[in-house]
Amino acid sequence: MDPIEVLKTVELFDGLEPAELGAVAALCRERTYQAGQVITTQGEVGDDLFVVCDGFVEVILSRPPGDQAPRTMVHLGRGQIFGEMALVDHGPRSATVRALVDGAVVMIIHRQDFASLCEANHHLGFVVMRNMAADLSFKLRHRNLANR
Amino acid sequence: MSPIYKVSYVVTGNDHPGTIANVERPPKVGDVVRLGDQSYKVTEVVELIPARGEFHYLHATLAPARS
Repeated sequence: MDPIEVLKTVELFDGLEPAELGAVAALCRERTYQAGQVITTQGEVGDDLFVVCDGFVEVILSRPPGDQAPRTMVHLGRGQIFGEMALVDHGPRSATVRALVDGAVVMIIHRQDFASLCEANHHLGFVVMRNMAADLSFKLRHRNLANR
Repeated sequence: MSPIYKVSYVVTGNDHPGTIANVERPPKVGDVVRLGDQSYKVTEVVELIPARGEFHYLHATLAPARS
């Protein structure tokens, strides 16, 4: 899978120049997961940002012990990102994410590498952070509609 | 670059949590879409926020498709 071709279709990187896209692609590692395999775990420290390239993942929120069973909040498909909250606020993972189908492919970008790239290139940093805010906004709008 | 449609799918009538995914063609009322191992019929499509560049932002309401 050519990372540049994948990244071109991801909203997070919309507005980047070709050379900037290439710099991001150079940071990407590709990994394939099987159905049920955990990618991130709620409460753990997170150092990576993830981009869904193929298949679907599910975002699961655990409740306090003794409360209700874990709840699946949303499924994310091609072009969607997750892990971005820990990237921005350095907090623990807010949810568990696991592959929903066999052969789910994600690109992984390490937080420190990505932060260094954003600091070295402020245009890239501005575009990505603006798009990340727009993505969080879209997820919130989706959540509001799902709860109607 | 071809348009990309970022779609918020919400399913009514069962406990599906909803899906966000990029697709190459916009969903239309009456279309049948497959999410996981289930098929759903599109009952409503609205523009969620204005398009920006090649990205279009849609919300689609789905109902379980009858087999």
